Amino acid sequence: MTALANSLSCLIALGCASFLWRKGSSPYRNGALLAGFLVLFCLFTYFAGDISVDPTLEHYPFRMLALCLCLSTTSLSLYRRRYLVLAQALWCWIELFGGIALYYRGFDIAWTRILALLSMSLCSTFLSKISKEMEFCLMVFWLAVWVFF
Amino acid sequence: MFKYLMLAGLALFLPGLYALGYSIFEGPSAWMVDSRTFWGTPISLFVFWIGLAHAGTLLSAIFLALDIKLDRRTALIAELSTLVCLVFAGIFPLMHLGVVENFYMVMPLLDARGNFANVGSPLVWDFCCIAVYALLSLVFFMTHLKTREIPALDKYRKPMAWLLFPLVLWVHTVVSLDFATAFVPEWCGAFFPVYFIAGAIFSGLALMNLLLCSEGYRVRLLERLQLIFSWFMCAIWVWDLMLKGSLCTSAFIFAGVLPQFRMIAVIRENKWGRIALSLSVLIGLFLERLYIVSPEFGSYAASPLNWIDWGLIAFSVGGFVLLFFGIRRYLSWKMEGAGSYFGEVDGTDLADAEQQELEKEGARGIEKPKKGFYIQPWASEEYHVLRLPLLVGFAIALVYSIWVLSQSVFANVEFSFANIVPLLYPVIALVTTVTLYLRAYFVEHAFTLHRHEKWMAAILLVLVAACAGTFFAGGSSQNSTNTIDSQSIGVDAPISQSHARLLWNARCATCHGVKGNFNEKFVREFYPVPQKLDVQRLDSLGADSLVKVILNGRANMNAYAGRLTPEEAHGLVNYMYSLAKEGEK
Repeated sequence: MTALANSLSCLIALGCASFLWRKGSSPYRNGALLAGFLVLFCLFTYFAGDISVDPTLEHYPFRMLALCLCLSTTSLSLYRRRYLVLAQALWCWIELFGGIALYYRGFDIAWTRILALLSMSLCSTFLSKISKEMEFCLMVFWLAVWVFF
Repeated sequence: MFKYLMLAGLALFLPGLYALGYSIFEGPSAWMVDSRTFWGTPISLFVFWIGLAHAGTLLSAIFLALDIKLDRRTALIAELSTLVCLVFAGIFPLMHLGVVENFYMVMPLLDARGNFANVGSPLVWDFCCIAVYALLSLVFFMTHLKTREIPALDKYRKPMAWLLFPLVLWVHTVVSLDFATAFVPEWCGAFFPVYFIAGAIFSGLALMNLLLCSEGYRVRLLERLQLIFSWFMCAIWVWDLMLKGSLCTSAFIFAGVLPQFRMIAVIRENKWGRIALSLSVLIGLFLERLYIVSPEFGSYAASPLNWIDWGLIAFSVGGFVLLFFGIRRYLSWKMEGAGSYFGEVDGTDLADAEQQELEKEGARGIEKPKKGFYIQPWASEEYHVLRLPLLVGFAIALVYSIWVLSQSVFANVEFSFANIVPLLYPVIALVTTVTLYLRAYFVEHAFTLHRHEKWMAAILLVLVAACAGTFFAGGSSQNSTNTIDSQSIGVDAPISQSHARLLWNARCATCHGVKGNFNEKFVREFYPVPQKLDVQRLDSLGADSLVKVILNGRANMNAYAGRLTPEEAHGLVNYMYSLAKEGEK
């Protein structure tokens, strides 16, 4: 996948995140949106990359979904820190075990990305107040991890 | 009700038991085996039951950890279903080995036997992770069961839930790696961890809803989640279709399309409608497991399952129903009664129960924190309970990693940190739980044990020690250089070449490979690696010794004396020679 398509995927995830967890929304709405977003991410990966030659794209839609969940947690009104940590742990888990599966086929594990996510998960456990500025910093961090690591 | 269900279970279990006995006697040729993956019905059943086994504790632990209200009876049913599913999940890998009496070969006990080359195999992780998960689930269930008698134990449930939450995900991920790390094209998928977890939760929700129907009540939250997960599964199947160009249509219909009928009020409000929806999901997900494990299953026009396969399915389903409802009946007095909500029927009774609990807590002087109120991580009760045991767990995991990586035997085999990462969290969880409960019993005196419970605890500790012993997978592998004395058995009427080929393909090819160059897939996995056929080696052993090995067995080779005649064994030796010669051309 090209760097441009990879960056575009961040924007798609960011756009999708804004639709999640709206006040008063039902679990059905959020569940349907998540499943719909996953299909959208699958289609994006299918058309933006060549999945027949690049096995690292096999878990790309799920990584996009994890990024989308991380970004969406910043708009939660309750238990924001808890779900922020859990969403990052999910992303870390997808990266780690997807990486191990690919490692057996000769690909390197993205340790830098995993360590960055792991350290941010641990650090965000101690966030007492998540201000607007902190939300912005977290989002920039996640997007940087996505694009550069 | 439970009595009738147990009778129905027995009616399935008994014929299933016959099929099980027959298939153990006959070996892997008895059941459907995929000619490319060499995996068949027992592994499909293992993956199916292990998925269900993960879902019960996972749901209970997730809900408890995230403060989502789930009544005591529902949580106990979920935890019990996990334990019973684990019993049946554990049986099938042993059957799949084909040499059940050599079952200990799946346990990587040091390198005592010197025959396991593949220390990086996910099947090694499998055994360790599932063993830890089974032990911790049992402890979690027992703690929950005893909380009524000893309320002090309640404070250990939530920390345990936080330990189990990642463990369950971790263990099922490791099961998915059995597939994802193999080189079968249909199994190539870095997304398999998510796929398997989603499937496990989905099937677990269906099982829970089915069990709740038998209890005579329903939990709407679980039903809603079942529907939502069906959408998520459909999305994953779309991706699988894009990647591999194939889809298990029957699984999609049963677990993807039919569950949507829950949107029709007449069906979802009817008990039989709910049962049908849950059964449909379970059938669909079992078909999906069959399809994943044996990709050829999807290519047959008619079902390739024979009566043994159906018997094995009946054995596991009947056995589950019999054992689950048997234990459920026995534990009725502990699972029901004051303090349990008896389920949500229309939502109002749950709200009433919650209100009553809040009033009770208010009367006891327990102040509930405001929703969303910030609590310092180090000020939370879970942290106080877990901090020391967790520290011990991390320290032991660190020592374990250093110890494994410094083992000289790994100099001979390809090995890296990635090979031990999957074992780290189970080590942490195991050590943390043992430390937590030992401290609670000996230091804090938080609970007492009756005589039979002390015995049970001692057995558990022995199992924990056995588990810890298996964590070191062993390293170097040397082919045995032992020779066998050759003594003529006077066979002079070998069978025909075509008969020998048929016998070879049915009895020997699973391990030795159709062309005698052994099954590469087994080398990637965990099995004892058979010898390669070459003329020089066969000559050095001699035909008579080889006939004796086939009939009497040797090391990991099973004895076939009761199943092959000496003439057939001799015919197989001749066939081995012809394969070896072909291989050298």
